[in-house]
Amino acid sequence: MTAHLAQDSITLYAALAALLLPLLSFAVSTVIRNRFSRVVSLMAPLLLLLSFLCVCFITTQVSMETPFHFQINWFALADKEITFGFLLDTRVTLMMIVVSGISFLVHLYSIGYMAGDPGIKRYFAMLGFFTFSMMGIVMANNLLMIFFFWELVGFSSYQLIGFWNNKPAAAMAATKAFIINRIGDAGFLTGLMILWAYGGSLAIDTINITGIPSPYLTLAGIFIFCGVIGKSAQFPLFTWLPDAMEGPTPVSALIHAATMVAAGVFLLVRVYFLFTSDVLMLIAVVGGITSILGAIGALLHFDIKKILAYSTISQLGFMIMGIGAGDPFASELHLYTHALFKAGLFLCAGSIIHGLHKASVEKSMDVQDIRKMGGLAKRMPVTFLSFLIMAGGLAGIPFSAGFLSKDAILTGLLQGHIIFLIAGFGVSVLTAVYTFRLLWFTFLSKDSLPEFIPREQIKDPIPMMRIVTIILAITSLWLMISWSPVDFNGWISNYAQGGLLINSTLITATSAIVIVFTGLIAYLYFKNKTISKKESNVLLSNFGFDLLYKKIIVTSTLRLSNHTLHFDRRWIDGFIHLAAYAQVAFAHFMGWWDKSIIDGSVNGLAMAARGIGSVTRSFSSGKIQSYILWSMLGLIIFIIWILF
Amino acid sequence: MNGSQSILLLAALLFSIGLSIVFIKRNAIMILLGIELMFNSANLNLIAFNQSRPLSLDGQLFALFIIIIAVCEAAVGIAIILRAYHYYHNAIPDQISELKEKN
Repeated sequence: MTAHLAQDSITLYAALAALLLPLLSFAVSTVIRNRFSRVVSLMAPLLLLLSFLCVCFITTQVSMETPFHFQINWFALADKEITFGFLLDTRVTLMMIVVSGISFLVHLYSIGYMAGDPGIKRYFAMLGFFTFSMMGIVMANNLLMIFFFWELVGFSSYQLIGFWNNKPAAAMAATKAFIINRIGDAGFLTGLMILWAYGGSLAIDTINITGIPSPYLTLAGIFIFCGVIGKSAQFPLFTWLPDAMEGPTPVSALIHAATMVAAGVFLLVRVYFLFTSDVLMLIAVVGGITSILGAIGALLHFDIKKILAYSTISQLGFMIMGIGAGDPFASELHLYTHALFKAGLFLCAGSIIHGLHKASVEKSMDVQDIRKMGGLAKRMPVTFLSFLIMAGGLAGIPFSAGFLSKDAILTGLLQGHIIFLIAGFGVSVLTAVYTFRLLWFTFLSKDSLPEFIPREQIKDPIPMMRIVTIILAITSLWLMISWSPVDFNGWISNYAQGGLLINSTLITATSAIVIVFTGLIAYLYFKNKTISKKESNVLLSNFGFDLLYKKIIVTSTLRLSNHTLHFDRRWIDGFIHLAAYAQVAFAHFMGWWDKSIIDGSVNGLAMAARGIGSVTRSFSSGKIQSYILWSMLGLIIFIIWILF
Repeated sequence: MNGSQSILLLAALLFSIGLSIVFIKRNAIMILLGIELMFNSANLNLIAFNQSRPLSLDGQLFALFIIIIAVCEAAVGIAIILRAYHYYHNAIPDQISELKEKN
C-alpha cells in the first residue's frame, strides 16, 4: 500500500513538473535580461525536453485500469466543492506526449528559425506559456480548469499570431482570432453554467448527467460545442485560422496545426458522454461542412501556409465529423497522427520560407506563394523527403499513420448515416488532390522562381531544423500506430482503449484504392498544367464569410453601439447626472441638519451640563460663611417642615 | 405678655443679630463675636425657661457653665485666628484660600 502511495506521489511530482516546467521557461524568458537572450534559446528547449521526459515517465506509470487521479479542493460554492486536480488516463497521457513532444521539437526548430530576431525572448516566453496552458487543458480533471486554460491558450495564441506586431496584418489577424474565439468561449461558458446548475459538478468524473433534464443536456452540449467551433476553427467561425498564418511558421505548426486547434477535438472526446444524439448529429453536420469547405479552400489557395491552414480546418472537421457520427477514439487517433504530420508539414513550409527568404535577401518577394516555387526537390532534398512522407500521411496513402487513423474514422462512420461516410470519402479524395497539388507545385513542377534568386543559395536549413522535420516524418509512418500497415488496432489502441472498433477490410481496401487512384489522376491532371495566375476574391475573404460577417455583424454592431451610445448619453447619463445633483442637494441638507440640529443638540446638552455644573459648583465656593448661610437656611426649612 | 416671653424675644433678637454678624462680617474676629452673641442668646433662653420653675436654679447654672465654655472656646478661637494671621498676614477667612482651585 505504501509503495503504491509513494509511486503515486512520484507520478504527481512528475505531472506537476511536466505542467510547470514550460511555465518556468516562460518566467525565466520573461525576466532574463536582453543581453542574455541567447541563453533563452538554449534553456527553453532544455526545459521542454525535461517536461517531455516527465510525460514519458507518467506514461509508463498509467495504464488503462489504473488512471492517475489527484485532486484537492479548490473552493466551495454553497455546499458544492470545486476541485482542482489531474485526471490522467491513457488517452490523456498520449495527448500529453503529443503536446509536449511537438512543443519540444518546435522549440528546437525555433532556435534556427528565429535566430537573430530581436523579440526572441518574448517568442520563447509565449511558447512556454502556451505549452503550459495546453498541458493544463489536457491534464485538468474539471471543466472549469479546462475553461481557464482554454482562455490562456487563446491568449498565448493571440500573442503569438501578433508576434510581429509591427505588421498591421499580423495585429489584425491576432485581434480577429481573439475576438472570434471569445464568441465561441461565451458559448462554452454558458454550457458550463448549465452543467453546473443541473449536473451539480464540473469535475469530469462526477458530473451526474442522469440528473440533467434532457433538453438542458442537449443545450449544454450545443453550447460546449460552440467553444469547440471557435477554438477548432469549425464552420462558421473558421475564418480566423487562415489569417492566423501571419504568425511565425513554427507557431503555426505548434498552435494552429498540432495542439491548440486540436484542443477542441480533445475536449469533445473528453466530454463525449455528455452529448445527446441530437448534439452528436449537429457535431457531425458541422464537422462535415467544415471538412468539405476546408478541403475546397486548400484546393484553391496559392499561399503555402494558407493551404496548410485550410487543410487543418478540413482535417479538424473530419475528426469532428468522426466524433459526431462515428467513434471518438478513431478521431482521437487521427488527432495524434494529424498533429505529428501537420506540424511537420508546417515546419517544412517554414524551412522553404526560411530558405527562400535567405536566398532572396536583397529583394523582397512573397516567399509563400506556390506559384513562384517549383523544382525545390533538387535544392532541398531533405526537406522534400520529409515533406513527401508527411504529405503521404495527410493524403492518407497506405503505409502512413494518417492512412490508418483516417481508416479508423471511416470505419467508425460506417455506424452513422451513409451521408457522412460519403462525405468522409469525398474529403479523403479532395485531401489527396490538394496535397498532391501542393507537393507538385512546390517541389516537383518546373522551376518558376523569380529570376533574381541565385539558385545555388537555396538549400536545406541548418541540421537542427532538418533533424526536427526528419523526426516528425518518421513519426508519420504507420509504425506509430500499429505493426501492421493495414490494421489500425495496434499498440496505441491496446494502450489506450482496447479496440472497440473492428477493422473493416472493405473500408481499408476501398480507401487505399481510392487514394491511389486519386493520386494517379491528380498526377495526370497536374502534370502538364501550369497553375492559374488569378486569385479569386471569394477565396481571399475566406469564402465570403469575412464579407458576410462584416456586412451583417460588424455593421449592425456598429449601428447598435451608436444607438446605445445615444441612449447612454441621453438617458443613462441624464439619469446619473440627476441622481448626482439630487445627491449633492441632499448632502447639503444633511450638512445643515448635522451642523444645526445634531451638533446643536449636543452642544446644547453640553452647555446645560456646564450651567448646572457651575450652579452646583457655586455652592462649594470655599466661603465658610456661605456654607453656614446655606446650612442655616436648610435647617430652617427642615424645622418648618417638621413643625408644620 | 409675661416676663419670660419678653426675655425669649430678646434672646431671639440677640440670636438673629449674632447670626447676621456671622453671615455678614468678613473679619474672623467679628465672626467670633457674632458666635459669642449667639451663645448669650442661648443663655438668655435657658434663664427664660427657668422662670416657670422659680424654686430651682438649673437654668442659671447651665448659663454659668456655658459662659465658662464660651470663654474657653473664644480663647481657642482667638488663638487659632492669631496663628492664621501670623501665617497668612490676614484674618479674613474668604481670602485664606490655599486649598481652593485657582481660576
